Amino acid sequence: MEDSREAGTGQAIDASGRRVDEWSECLVLIGSNQDRAAFTRLFRHFAPLIKAFALAGSSLSATHADELVQEVMLKIWQKAGAYDPRKAAASTWVYTIARNCRTDMFRRLQKFDTPLAAEDFTPEQDDEEPLVQLQSRRNRERIKALMSTLPPDQAQILAKVYMEGKSHAEAANDMDLPLGTVKSRVRLALQKLQIQMERQ
Amino acid sequence: MAKYHPSVDLLTEYAAGILPLAQAACLSAHLNYCAQCRQQTAQLQDLGAELFSSLPPQPVAESLLDNVLARLDEAPPLRYQRVPESGVGRLPALLQRLMRGDFRELSWKKITRSLRISYLRTGDPSFEFALYHIKAGGRIPQHTHRGSEMTLILQGGFSDAHGSYHVGDFLYRDAEDDHAPTALQSEDCICLAVLDAPLRFTSWKYRWMNPFLQLRPG
Repeated sequence: MEDSREAGTGQAIDASGRRVDEWSECLVLIGSNQDRAAFTRLFRHFAPLIKAFALAGSSLSATHADELVQEVMLKIWQKAGAYDPRKAAASTWVYTIARNCRTDMFRRLQKFDTPLAAEDFTPEQDDEEPLVQLQSRRNRERIKALMSTLPPDQAQILAKVYMEGKSHAEAANDMDLPLGTVKSRVRLALQKLQIQMERQ
Repeated sequence: MAKYHPSVDLLTEYAAGILPLAQAACLSAHLNYCAQCRQQTAQLQDLGAELFSSLPPQPVAESLLDNVLARLDEAPPLRYQRVPESGVGRLPALLQRLMRGDFRELSWKKITRSLRISYLRTGDPSFEFALYHIKAGGRIPQHTHRGSEMTLILQGGFSDAHGSYHVGDFLYRDAEDDHAPTALQSEDCICLAVLDAPLRFTSWKYRWMNPFLQLRPG
């Protein structure tokens, strides 16, 4: 699949004729032209989210949160060349970098002496098949649409695990719930969002 | 094709970036063998991205943007090459890095006649991360775990009372399980084991060794 560009508008169109969203477009511009204006737009949108993500765990100070914002944004600048809008939504790509940087920061603060960085944990094999790519877009849209149907107790646990970075056991402890209850709420939420395996 | 997989609980913690380092390394090595779990993980990551996108934004000082813009030149864009196709039998890159060589070059500690262990350093202070080499047809004495045990098969295979396992299979056992894995007859088995407490042999013949089986995290 090749991206084509409409003359003058700078609007990226993918092979199926769909508009690529604004943030994917920014990432592509940064990756191909080191476009600072696109980077600034991206910063204004994502930096406040990255900061919120840093502070959600509440164990990072405001200074660390700002440090994380800078680190993540610099990584985005450096790695934008590897971003492929066919494979991931911009926000998924940015989230993954933010998550990795936050994990590394936690480990640094705990004085881990490790040869590994969180991004080394990314599985190597890419699923190139167009079907998989198409599915990934659909997944994202489906999850977005179904999110509002989650009961508050399930949504709350997902936020604890993903945004606050609590393990199931820590979440159980925080919320004064048995571990089994936490696990089953997560599983129910995943079923509602249709993220589930056929096996098991 | 792997037949034994991590539970959705573990995959969720992995996707959220909160699995302890040594366990995350083992799980990510399984993903290199298993397209099904890769897809599942990608979806769990999409879920994280969705939650991330709907966080209430926190104000960021304008000076932070200026700082970052001023530093862009120190952070030149990285160029990427395509990841080469992984050949059959190739070990996950993450493991290769931790091993810094191949199986023959590691230092193996002899535990019993058919079991050798090589400890790898991950830097995780709570988990031991080690390769187990079980001779073809050899058996690890009956044992339980004082904590949890994650196992990934890298070469050959083994069986125990619960089933038989081959390359790419992932097992997670907790303290209650009591088993005696036996390597397949056809070839030596090498597996990765991540433990947060030492093994405890339950067969009388080997129990005397328990005090010597100390956890070696880090």
